[in-house]
Amino acid sequence: MSTGTAAAAAPREPVGLIGWLMTTDHKRIGILTLATGFVMFLFDGVLGLTMRAQLARPGQHILNTQQYNLFVTMHGTGMIAVSITPFALGLGVYLVPLQVGAPRIAAPRVTLLGYWLGVAGALLLVWGFLTPDGAAAGWWGYTPLSTTTYSPGAGMALWIAGVFLAASGMICQGATVLWTLLRMRAPGMTMLRMPVFSWTMVVTCLMTLASFPALLTAMGVLTASRLDPGLLTGNAWNLAYENLFWFYGHPVVYVMFFPFVGAVAEVIAVFSGRRFFNYTGTVFALLVFAALSMAVWGHHMFISGQESNDYFSLTSILLVIPAGMEYFGLAGTLFGGRLRYPVAMLFALAFIPQFLIGGLSGIMLGTPSVDYAVNNSYFVVAHFHYTLFAGSVFGFFAGVYFWWPKATGYLLDERAGRVHFVLMVIGANLTYLPMFFLGLKGMPRWMQTYPASSGFSTLSLVSSIGAGFIGLAVITFGYTVYVSSRARKPAGPDPWGGYSLEWLTSSPPPRFNYNGQYPIPVIRSFTPALDLRQRRRPDQPGRAEG
Amino acid sequence: MPFRQVFGQVFPLELAIALTVFALVLAVMAAAVLVSWRKRRRGEPAALREHWHVVEGAYAAALLGTAVFLIVTSFSANSRDFPRDPKPAVTVDVTGYEWCWKFHYAGSAVTVTGACLQGRPPVLVVPAGESVRVELTSADVLHAFWVPYLDFKMDAFPGHVNTFTVTFPHAGRWIGRCAQLCGLYHTSMDFWVQAVAPSAFRGWLAAGGSAAGLTAAGVHGR
Repeated sequence: MSTGTAAAAAPREPVGLIGWLMTTDHKRIGILTLATGFVMFLFDGVLGLTMRAQLARPGQHILNTQQYNLFVTMHGTGMIAVSITPFALGLGVYLVPLQVGAPRIAAPRVTLLGYWLGVAGALLLVWGFLTPDGAAAGWWGYTPLSTTTYSPGAGMALWIAGVFLAASGMICQGATVLWTLLRMRAPGMTMLRMPVFSWTMVVTCLMTLASFPALLTAMGVLTASRLDPGLLTGNAWNLAYENLFWFYGHPVVYVMFFPFVGAVAEVIAVFSGRRFFNYTGTVFALLVFAALSMAVWGHHMFISGQESNDYFSLTSILLVIPAGMEYFGLAGTLFGGRLRYPVAMLFALAFIPQFLIGGLSGIMLGTPSVDYAVNNSYFVVAHFHYTLFAGSVFGFFAGVYFWWPKATGYLLDERAGRVHFVLMVIGANLTYLPMFFLGLKGMPRWMQTYPASSGFSTLSLVSSIGAGFIGLAVITFGYTVYVSSRARKPAGPDPWGGYSLEWLTSSPPPRFNYNGQYPIPVIRSFTPALDLRQRRRPDQPGRAEG
Repeated sequence: MPFRQVFGQVFPLELAIALTVFALVLAVMAAAVLVSWRKRRRGEPAALREHWHVVEGAYAAALLGTAVFLIVTSFSANSRDFPRDPKPAVTVDVTGYEWCWKFHYAGSAVTVTGACLQGRPPVLVVPAGESVRVELTSADVLHAFWVPYLDFKMDAFPGHVNTFTVTFPHAGRWIGRCAQLCGLYHTSMDFWVQAVAPSAFRGWLAAGGSAAGLTAAGVHGR
């Protein structure tokens, strides 16, 4: 497809801004999705920092009670629906066709539609946030608080529409990435020769397709209740909404986790100088993990008093088995490796213990007797920020530093990146570790302000100082990108000694990923780029470099 | 009040397991860094091994064992949280509403409420050492009845009654909070639980449940 005649026969693609916004190139759609998600990450992050400013000292009223509820709702909804989930799927849109040796993504216009639905969803959410009666019912939108009786404003309606559109967009992108994974792999690229990251995208997309429709249904229930406010006065409807919401709400946590564990796995393997340890076991564990994740939603509802405690405790605790197997692969790859420590590797290494804190506290929450004490307290706030921020966002940045040179052709500055990393580690742990103790001391979630007599002051102040470090870290990342794009240190096709196919093509890759100059080699394993280098060095048969 | 006791048994146990696992993972990572440093110094290449099925199998078995242990612990704890309660000493109908609480003592005319938004939270008076059945509901949106001291909370749904039994072991006063986002003044929905001697409680209830009655019964009010 790289021959001159084919290029001449192909319809001319639009260039410039229009070319970007109407592109059918998965790499551009992926970058658009990630960049838009990052804009929302900054916006929702500023909301979070504002709330931390309010909570730094007792009795502060930087935000009034209504504004605080608005901020907490937009921070949660924005981060989950239009920031971290798009990070997860956007990485897949960019990388999966490259990793499986496909010239393009399946149904690229549907992928692009997914991006635009996401943009529309984000705009509606922000619009709703800016209306006088913005949505203030939390990111769960629990009924009846979210019905017209208690949230009559247009903001709530815009929130429903925004969440619906964003979720629809993610379904579109998840479907096309899965289609690419299943049906568009290069010759020789069997399912069990796909890189670990691509495998994490298989389960991510499966969960997206299986669970997001429940969110659409839940939004349908909310919409119906706005037409008929009497609908959600009955207990059965309120409970139905909770079940529908968490049927989406738990798997989405793993949608926002798996691609980043996949990124961490790739980074750790390459910078340990070893092929990923226990590959098949890890793939199997991922599939079990995804299947089980569809059956644990009720643990979010232990305190409803209307849930089958033992069943959901059983399924939730069983998650330690696939989760433990994931860690077996990561630890086994590190152990015995010859490690290198570029910024991507630092983020990946920090991911392991930090995510573990989130995971271990999550297993505790699978015990109803513990959940009764700490649910809806700051303990849970600490738990899910350890998974989502100290885990997923660290994994995301590992991926950003790893694949940035592939996507742009130039390297990110390692020195500025190290400062970014150190500030992130300080910030994440200083912010979220005290929250466990605040929760155990009885500080409820969504607390708008607290009296000095409550005993929350010191830990809250520490947490808020930590949030300041996170703010500095993100600014430093911006500085890193700035100095790197000024310096434009060329990366070449493979700056790291990568293992998967994408490192065999140019940086950035050509329009259809591989061509006569950058062909797809014979694929014999899940590390085709490594295999190719080893065959060129017959003196070291089967030896990984490090 | 089984919740606090059960939490006091289960949480430290799970915390100890979690900290052990965390320490093990850190140890493996530290060892990996050391091994790598030694390999680099000696010029050895990275290890080639991609599977270690014996260790994998043993590890999977250990995970399964841990999971089974945690599941049994969880089931057993959950069953102890809700013992069959033959005869509670007193039953209170607790109603959450935007934005305060109402406590009605079943079988009496006594209903206690407060003015949460004016900083006068209601006081739930209970007999110390005796079981109290709470029948919890909501008049409008979801709320959650949370007494941090009890290590227990439960949602209050409109159109549904959640029932549980608690016991406060000795006379005392504990803060209670709302633990479900319920709108504008969610944070103001505090209440107090005041446990008094059973005789004082009955005197207070018979006298109509006023704050003055509590003082008259020899209990220090707020």
